[in-house]
This record gives sequence, structure tokens and C-alpha cells, in this order.
Amino acid sequence: MKTVEKEVGAILAGTISSITQRSIFNRLGGLATTPIQQLTAADRATILSELENSVRLFARSNSSQLIASIAKALSAESGASPGGAGGAGGAGPAVLAAPKKLPIEQEKDIATARLEAWSEAVRIGLSKFASVKVATAVSELARNIVFYAGKGTVELRSLKDDRGVVGLQIVATDQGPGIPAAKLDEIWAGTYKSQRGMGKGLVAVKKLVDEFQLDTRPGVGTTVTCIFRGER
Amino acid sequence: MGAPLECVVSDCRSHHDLVIGEPVEQELPIIQIRNCLLVSIQTELHDRLALDLQASLMERVRTVNARGVILDVSAVEVIDSYITRILNDIGKSVRFMGAECYIVGIRPAVAMTLIEMGVELDSVHTALNLDLALERLELL
Repeated sequence: MKTVEKEVGAILAGTISSITQRSIFNRLGGLATTPIQQLTAADRATILSELENSVRLFARSNSSQLIASIAKALSAESGASPGGAGGAGGAGPAVLAAPKKLPIEQEKDIATARLEAWSEAVRIGLSKFASVKVATAVSELARNIVFYAGKGTVELRSLKDDRGVVGLQIVATDQGPGIPAAKLDEIWAGTYKSQRGMGKGLVAVKKLVDEFQLDTRPGVGTTVTCIFRGER
Repeated sequence: MGAPLECVVSDCRSHHDLVIGEPVEQELPIIQIRNCLLVSIQTELHDRLALDLQASLMERVRTVNARGVILDVSAVEVIDSYITRILNDIGKSVRFMGAECYIVGIRPAVAMTLIEMGVELDSVHTALNLDLALERLELL
């Protein structure tokens, strides 16, 4: 059984000393010794956000590459049949996983959602640039939830159409105050100025994604649904 | 290269009060190189941290007569419109003080994303890396 510790240790070997690795894994508690196949989506998110910080701190170079490899190793194994050959061989098209629902309640959840979206985008095979776009859009949507609604969820759903084009659907939902029609007009016109941000978050998301849908009801809440598509 | 670079690390006080188990008030270290101030952003910029950074940068610009402020974002993988606003705000406030603000190390994918989103980094200068920013500030 490949544990998180073993698999991640192999990736970090040569970059981060074993003593430092020890303390990094200690921070993960019981998750470090859990077999990768038994991880839940929430576990993976916890491990990734914890490891991301540590790797950034201790790796001298290409920390983002290391984080991407770790994300890949953690998710590649989870869907595989037990006893199957390990490694990042990539056996044909990935099985599109169950949707991931991420709770967004405080500022640190924004970073978690961003990372989760990024690793999901990489996992389903979107390009590096596209993955950064996905992460940026999720960052904007999660930020809107924290700033304006207090709490909500971001759901990531991997898609594949009949021509085999992969895509990622992002659904950001909250039960916040909603956006009044007058304000919405200002937002789309680009004249809206927010106190905390630029007032351009939604416009930015709309420009980044391939499909965009906004459903907002004052007093009820807001749902933004958008889709990124990979290249054929 | 003329005289050796004078390097002073300030704002280390959190090091002192570090008690295991207690959350430490986060503060970004500001490094002085000659008459420039350098901050390497390695962590999530949230409201409080950004405002603190802006305030302490302005204070330090005044006390050390800094000619420039350099923010290194090479470790930042995602810059959204909110972070852009923070960077622009810091740039504006530094400019009001009479110094120039450089953002260095923006990743290619981040730059592409900012262009697509249509947000502008118009209150700061950008440079490919720290070396080039220092070079340009020296020439000001």
C-alpha cells in the first residue's frame, strides 16, 4: 500500500532533506500514513494546502512543479484499482471523478478552493495556462462569496463531451444578499467600484471562461455557473 | 558593481514572541537593499496583511528615504483582481511618498490571465526580475 508519506517523500527526495520532510509529515498527523487510495477529496485538499505551504517554504526551486507532481500523485492513485501499477504513467483518459463541493466561509478557504481547482484542472488535462485561469476564476468567485455573502460553496465538476473534449464546470453558490439589478448594470458596464476589491471580479470571470451564467435574486442568493473547456 | 550591497532585515520582532501553539501575528519582512525596500510575497495576501504591509512600507520609505519599493511576486501563482487592487494601492501610496514601486517576477501564465481579465497594473512599474528592477531604480 502506498502511503501519502511514501509517495510524497519520493517526489521531495533530493529537494527537501529527510529531517525537514519528517516535520512536514508530522504536521499532517494521521493523514501522512494513510494509503493514498483511501483518501477522500477533503483529505486531499487538506494535505495539498499543508504541503503547498511547506514546499514553498523549504524547496529552493521549482516549488510549483513539485506541488503539481504531488497533486497528480495524490489524485492519480485514488481512482485506480487497488494493486494496480503505481506511478504517473497516465493510463488512458482519466475517469471523471465525482463533483467536489468546497465550503467557502473564510479567507483561507479561498486559497484552498483555488488550489483544489488548479489541481483538478491539471488532473483532467487542461493546459498549464488554462489551469491558472481556472484557479483565478475560482479565486474571484470564492472571494465574492466571502466578501459579500459570508459563506457559500464552490463546486467543481469534471466534464467530457461526446467528442472527448474535457472541461471543468464551476458552480459558486451562496445564500447571500444577491445583487440588485441597478448594481448589476454598473458591474457589466465596468463602472462599479467596490470598497474592498476592484469591482471587476465578475467581469473578469466572464472574460476568462467559455460559458458563463449568473443567477442572482436579491434576498435569496447568487449562483454563478461557468465552464472551461480544454483544447481539442 | 561598486560598494558591497548593504542588507538590513527589519521587522523581525515576531521571531521573539514566537510561542509554539499560539498564532503569531503575521507580518511580511521588509528587506532594505541600499535605498530600496524589498518584500517577497510568499503568502496569501488578505485584507489585514495587505493594509499592514502598505502602512509599514510607507513608514519605512519615509524613515530610510527609500527611492524605490520592490515587491517580488515570483512565488505567487494566482493574481486575481483583488490582489491587483492591493498591488495598485501600494504602488499609489508609495508614489505619493515620492518613491517608485516595482513588481517583479510575474509568471507568464499570471500575466496572460491578467490580460484576459482586462485588469490593469497601472500604478506600479514591472520588471522581469529583481536585478533589472534595481538597475532601473539606480538609473532614476
